[in-house]
Amino acid sequence: MQKVAIVGAGHMAKVHGAAYAKMANAKPVAVVDIRKEAADELAASIGAQGFTDFDAMLQAVDPDVIDVCTPTPFHKPYVLKAAEAGKHVITEKPMGRSLDECREMIATTDKAGVKFMVAHVLRFFPEFAAAKAQIDAGAVGKPAIVRTTRGGGFPTGSDDWYANVEMSGGLILDLIIHDFDWLRWCFGEADRVYAKGLAHSRLDHIDYALVTIRFKSGVIAHVEGTWANPSGFTVKFEVAGDQGLLDFYNKETAPVTVAQKDGGAKKAGVTIPESPTAQNPYYLELQHFIDCIEGDCAPSITAEDGLRAVEISLAALESLKTGKPVSVGA
Amino acid sequence: MPVKLGLMSFAHMHMGSYASAVNQIPEAEMVGIADHDLDRAKKMAETFNSKAFVSYEELLKQDIDAVIVASENIHHRELTIMAAEAGKHVLCEKPIATTIADAQEMIDVCKRNNVQLMTAFPCRFSPAMVRVKELVDAGTIGEILAVKGTNQGRMPGGWFIQKDKSGGGAVIDHTVHVADLMRWMLKSEAAEVYAEISNAMHHEDYDDVGQLTITFDNGVFTSLNTSWSRPKSFPTWGDVTMEITGTNGVISMDMFAQDMHLYSDKTMSTTWLGWGSNIDLLMVQDFVSRVANGQPVSVTGEDGLRALEVALGAYRSFDLGEPVRLPLST
Repeated sequence: MQKVAIVGAGHMAKVHGAAYAKMANAKPVAVVDIRKEAADELAASIGAQGFTDFDAMLQAVDPDVIDVCTPTPFHKPYVLKAAEAGKHVITEKPMGRSLDECREMIATTDKAGVKFMVAHVLRFFPEFAAAKAQIDAGAVGKPAIVRTTRGGGFPTGSDDWYANVEMSGGLILDLIIHDFDWLRWCFGEADRVYAKGLAHSRLDHIDYALVTIRFKSGVIAHVEGTWANPSGFTVKFEVAGDQGLLDFYNKETAPVTVAQKDGGAKKAGVTIPESPTAQNPYYLELQHFIDCIEGDCAPSITAEDGLRAVEISLAALESLKTGKPVSVGA
Repeated sequence: MPVKLGLMSFAHMHMGSYASAVNQIPEAEMVGIADHDLDRAKKMAETFNSKAFVSYEELLKQDIDAVIVASENIHHRELTIMAAEAGKHVLCEKPIATTIADAQEMIDVCKRNNVQLMTAFPCRFSPAMVRVKELVDAGTIGEILAVKGTNQGRMPGGWFIQKDKSGGGAVIDHTVHVADLMRWMLKSEAAEVYAEISNAMHHEDYDDVGQLTITFDNGVFTSLNTSWSRPKSFPTWGDVTMEITGTNGVISMDMFAQDMHLYSDKTMSTTWLGWGSNIDLLMVQDFVSRVANGQPVSVTGEDGLRALEVALGAYRSFDLGEPVRLPLST
């Protein structure tokens, strides 16, 4: 039984907390957040204890696992603290705000000999896992051109941190890094990245990007990310190969749609699609990490994977500034 | 008095559609057909209840007001100039030519002979596109920030994949429609283009994958997928789409979404059957009525040249591995 302490009490912390609460071989024991009320509230809902101080939490509950669900700039300090205390650690994506941060996390967790995983949850989404399996099985032949879309409205976070590009990296680092990781998983290492986007525009709570990646395999990928679309969360992918085409659109595959005349807290007239699955992808992801700890095996997503995804995001952000394609993996 | 039309070459499959449009328009009269391939001219004359002429020269000697040119791309210049010098207005299939110099010469010769040159961009006449332009002009989604476009299709084969006749592959074939729509809608010229191009769909000596990024003079950035990425088994020929992001929302256009799905045991295949308005008919109607009334055509040779420049710039960008400024210096 792994005792898990969650750092952060925001949206992802709630999702992770609920998952641990259902797990047979793990249990959430602590929630740490500088906002005492938020920590206590989440802790109470999952049978854990709330803390405002990380070290005090270590002393009080001596967890086995630290789950870092903070805003991006706080991933590194808590990953290091966890590793130095000899705790296994999983951190939300993106792994870090810079490659140096990522390298430091890898070195420290290696040295401490703890398990370390970056939560690229897309790999546990059934549609993305199934697509990868089809691609690997040759369903579309040799892949040639891949297109993805992800996004919706501008996200809300504590202190509005998503709107601070220095902290969040905008949607290129925070959102479409999901797609970058999935693309690497499917098509190997990237060669160069060219991107246009609004990360450095002064527009209020709008971000949008169009990123083109050429992979070393010759595959060309185009990734659209939006925090400017009020029509609800949209996810699409399309993989065209020399023997077929595989495509997906979340709005066409939601088995349940609710439309309420009076939507209560939500705006009236809004329809909300739902795509329930037997196990939610976050649960599968965290269960995998816990099982790796219990069975002493390597997590399927490595720290190196986390770093490489950040590298693509940073290359895209660099391309926004220079207006040129940026080489990666050199 | 009807507008008397001559049809020059059925090499491009769109001529079949233009010919049937001419026969549906009461104000238009098809005087005759000429083609490099005399047998094809005879066959088409039979199909469209018209007369075949043994040469383009013979056709142009007839009492006609205007011609439609739909030869292989490489011959657009020669046929357009021939018609202009005979004093006929010209509706020329896209891309207007295969080089900037050819396009410029076509424009100049038409001007000198006081005939009009229209580039066949039927997508401008799509009721969906007309509605989108109306919405954009009305400021429905605020200020436009970015556009993601596609014009993907099946590999057409034939002379389209012979560079000495087509001037290129998927990029020259599929860039111009949406590049033109973007220019028209944004009221701005393309200032820079970057492209990733490959032949990974068919592995032959023509390009069949193109992913362009086009930045406009007004700062709007766009991407455009021009690939022949639809497999033979795809239920329709392809698409023209635009996802337009503004400061106050998003407009999505899927130009040929007006369809129904036929699942047939006779063919053991699925087909998406379009029922939307015939945009070729709308375009030919517009050409005929403007010629009849002595009004300027709504899509000019200059428009054709600007769109061609984006395609040629894309090839140059890929060769150089960096973005290319437009207009191109020839």
